[in-house]
Amino acid sequence: MPLFVILEHMANGLLVGSYYVVLALGLSLIFSLGGVVNLAHGAFYALGAYLAWEVQRRLGFFGALALSPLGVAAIGVVIERLCLRRLYREDPGLALLFTFGLAMAAEQSLRLVWGATGLPFGIPEALRGQIFLGDFIYSRYRLAVLAVSAVAVLGCWLLLNKTSFGLVVRAGTRDPEMVRALGIALSPVLTAIFALGVGLAGLAGVMSAPLAGVQPAMGTEILTAAFVIVVIGGLGSFWGVVYAGLLVGVVRGLTVLFYPPAAEASMYALMVLVLLVRPRGLMGERFERFE
Amino acid sequence: MSPSRLRHPLLVLAGALLVLPLAMRAIGMTDGVATEIAIFCLVGLGFNLLLGYTGLVSFGHSAFFGLAAYAAALLQIHRLPGHVLLPIVFGTAFAAGLGLVIGFLALRRRGVYFSLLTLAFAAMIFSIVFRWTSFTGGENGLRGMTRPSLLGVPVESQLSFYYVTAAVVFLAAWALWRVVHSPLGRVLLAIRDNERRARFLGYPVQRYKLIAFALSAAATGLGGSLFAFLKVFVSADLVHVAFSGEILAMSIVGGMGHFLGPPLGGAFFILFREILSEYTAAWQFWFGLLFMGFILFSPSGLIGVGGRLLGPLRRGGEEAAAMAARVTPEPGQEVPEFFRGAPVVPGALLECRRVSKRFGDFTAVAEVDLTLADRRLHALIGPNGAGKTTLFNVISGMYPPDGGQLLLAGRRLDGLPPERVVGQALARSFQITNLFPSLTVFENLRLGIQARHPRRFDLWRPFTSLAAVHEETQALVRFLGLEGVEGAPVASLSYGGQRLLELGLALAARPRVLLLDEPLAGLAAAERERITALVRRLSEHMAVLVVEHDIDRVFAFADRITVMNEGRVVVDGPVAEVRDHPKVHEVYLGHGRDILFADAARASSAGAGAAVLRVSGIDTFYGKSHILHEVSLELRAGEVVGLLGRNGAGKSSTLKSVMGLAPPARGRIEFAGRDIGGRPPEEIARLGIGFVPQGRRLFPNLTVAENLELSRLRRRGSDGVRWEPERIFEFFPRIRERLASRAETLSGGEQQMVAIARALSGTLRLLLLDEPFEGLAPAVSEAIFVSIDRLRREVPILIVEHDLDLVLALADRVYVLDRGRITHEGPAAPLRADRELRRQVLWV
Repeated sequence: MPLFVILEHMANGLLVGSYYVVLALGLSLIFSLGGVVNLAHGAFYALGAYLAWEVQRRLGFFGALALSPLGVAAIGVVIERLCLRRLYREDPGLALLFTFGLAMAAEQSLRLVWGATGLPFGIPEALRGQIFLGDFIYSRYRLAVLAVSAVAVLGCWLLLNKTSFGLVVRAGTRDPEMVRALGIALSPVLTAIFALGVGLAGLAGVMSAPLAGVQPAMGTEILTAAFVIVVIGGLGSFWGVVYAGLLVGVVRGLTVLFYPPAAEASMYALMVLVLLVRPRGLMGERFERFE
Repeated sequence: MSPSRLRHPLLVLAGALLVLPLAMRAIGMTDGVATEIAIFCLVGLGFNLLLGYTGLVSFGHSAFFGLAAYAAALLQIHRLPGHVLLPIVFGTAFAAGLGLVIGFLALRRRGVYFSLLTLAFAAMIFSIVFRWTSFTGGENGLRGMTRPSLLGVPVESQLSFYYVTAAVVFLAAWALWRVVHSPLGRVLLAIRDNERRARFLGYPVQRYKLIAFALSAAATGLGGSLFAFLKVFVSADLVHVAFSGEILAMSIVGGMGHFLGPPLGGAFFILFREILSEYTAAWQFWFGLLFMGFILFSPSGLIGVGGRLLGPLRRGGEEAAAMAARVTPEPGQEVPEFFRGAPVVPGALLECRRVSKRFGDFTAVAEVDLTLADRRLHALIGPNGAGKTTLFNVISGMYPPDGGQLLLAGRRLDGLPPERVVGQALARSFQITNLFPSLTVFENLRLGIQARHPRRFDLWRPFTSLAAVHEETQALVRFLGLEGVEGAPVASLSYGGQRLLELGLALAARPRVLLLDEPLAGLAAAERERITALVRRLSEHMAVLVVEHDIDRVFAFADRITVMNEGRVVVDGPVAEVRDHPKVHEVYLGHGRDILFADAARASSAGAGAAVLRVSGIDTFYGKSHILHEVSLELRAGEVVGLLGRNGAGKSSTLKSVMGLAPPARGRIEFAGRDIGGRPPEEIARLGIGFVPQGRRLFPNLTVAENLELSRLRRRGSDGVRWEPERIFEFFPRIRERLASRAETLSGGEQQMVAIARALSGTLRLLLLDEPFEGLAPAVSEAIFVSIDRLRREVPILIVEHDLDLVLALADRVYVLDRGRITHEGPAAPLRADRELRRQVLWV
């Protein structure tokens, strides 16, 4: 097998990994600050794709790219304030179960509204075609996905590290009681983080739509991938999730090349290995409330 | 809980199974649907063994269901065509084996990680089954199964297959019923309620969890095998991860707290599916909504809803609970039989030789030598942070020591896990009540006694058949004085009752060495008397080591006392020697050294102004523990007030009550003319109260600059002093140099400065300091002292500190707290100068 085919698949894996990173980052944020294992994360991802389909029919792809994540975030705000808020003080298991029920209901509601078969979602005109870099051929769209993901990741990083909102979030992941003793109310921050987290999932959904299609089961399919990434990268670690997302993308790209049937299974095996050997992942921190 | 004969769950189940096909036909459903319901009842029961009874959330059961189905199908198709029973048995056994393997791996983690592991396994297995089409047929599945006869009955017709299935389901349910009521089953409940305490009773918890996991997998597998024959077809859909979720949803909707809950949920799920799918394709949507509704409003499921509707018809339980809350236990005179008669062990029964324990950089226990003789009451005292509880934790096996040895009757104890330590007849009680909340008083104690019994792994015979265990439990109940309330749930006991039960749990292990961690904490005087008498009686039969802060009583009841300070033993000897030992006085009362550098500042202090903070008669509780009793104090502008007292007196709790972190149940707290009692902490902080907590609690992942910036975000009031960064740096020049360092890299002294600076940032009208000198070297303490002293002119300060020399030099006035009450109030100067007065007010 020529080396450059391997490299090409690895690179492709990286490109695909980039929107996984966006998805997983959202999940990790909700995990770290809210303490919630969001099993409905895939549902928000799917919702992002579906909303994008609706918006792009009227306002084009770029409109969808901008508006769909916002729509998903808005729905996230409503759910957090009405329902999730009651569960923070309880056993984390209860919130996990709630998000599980939400995932169930959400997938079905997608079927109800848009039908059980997939929706067609082509690559937008402006981004079709290939770009040639030496011997390598890349689809323009995938490079665009990489660019948007990079912007999103960078934006998150800036938000978390250069704004006072981010300061409160970072402090709150370690000692929420002390944050309150400094005069800062945490509940609006929790709502905002949940909205941001699911908004990122929606964004990943929009980006994946032309690549993987839009169908009701897309949420559940990608959910385990998102968990694998967060677990490998480590809870509470920003860059850990980024590296893990790219790693998972590359591993997938390679296994698809060498032994396609094992592609998914290898990912889950990796997750099992990490959970058994080093549950806090590559770069994560210890969260006692999860143990 | 003894349901009347007619309401016995197994009879209800049998009745339901008998009439199910008729009921189904009546609403237009097929016998196949009835069979599916029966199978799902079984799956629910098996799953609930893990969820409701052991407290483990597994997403992996789709694997057991589906792979058992495949195992049965493949065996029949390839090896035993025409057989039905053997494939079913094989499928079940296969699932059990798989359960052992997956369980062994997944149970190495707990909580959310355990659940994620089961999810990963389920997803992995599904993707393998889905893709390995040559073996499994993938989506399209395997055909070629037949269903001629089972257990001698021809089952080609749906109805006859139903009745045979129902019989199998009933037998399995009966078996599970026996498991749940066996000694092993009761331990599962304990693990669900409080896994750690179960270990400290002596149960090897991992083994129990694994057995439960394997049994659960087997029951699910049996259901899967039956299902394969119901449909006479298997496909990858049976292994789909979503099915795990459906099993979970069924169990919760039905009600995981009751044996019949999940079967009810299973029936509900299938009927819901069958009926609603005639009207809409979106039945799963409605079920999902329903599931969410139950989580939010009735986590105890349908059974819980039913219970609440029927609630007014059942009074008995409530009365018992109310009585339990009022009864004050009167411990009996006679120590139970099973404690007596052990031969006296000469010399040292428990020995600690140069035991050390470190946590990162911090040395909690340093080279401690301690010897405990048999039939002695030995007390371990010392100020906060002395390392007493850490030593207990090391001895009882919670963590291994970093150095030194532990010997019990000559045998090495160090490195053993808690359950093995208990097996060596060393038991402990906990400082914070650590019981099995959903079980009755009797059951709590019985579990402790059962842990020593050879049949504690029995999963078949009823737990009530362990007559010896029952008798010993009765004797223990009588000894503790809990007769009459043994049937009440633990949560309804009064605080005193709970503390007594806590001690009782440690006794249940029939220890030769008993470790009691603050048995008198939070108790009223009369209760303290009773427990002291009880402990003294116990020390006639075993060795007892007690950590206590109630020094008066310690001196009255102990045979021997060890005093610890900062991780080391200061003095070890009989009461008379310790009580008057100069080193002990130093530890508790300070050196009486002059803090020379304070005098200059003191002289220029202008005297107190108007009251800034007024606390009037507050009572604060931690759960049921009554920490503060009618505490009143006042803080005026321009002064520093010290809160003194021994550990556990309630000093930090007072600060927390003011700050809103532990809101008072009664009384008033007024600050700058506003009533702040019970307000949320963020509101109180915004009014201008700065809090420097014990242990500093900087945000370790943020830099110094970020820690400071955080507190500037909110406090922008107009009154009070505004602390700009420049001003703060003037007070604490060292901080300017460390602005960009992460807080976790700072030294203790630097952290303390940053913590105080953080409290100052923004607008400040009152400063609360909790143990600011804890863990600091003398030179650093001096620097901090000077800074605080300079602050007195800027802002009123309320300080809690156990180093008496330092705090008496700082404070203008002091209050002394003892066991939650103010016992002394007055100027600091007399106490500072007169050591005899100090001894009177603060010592025994």
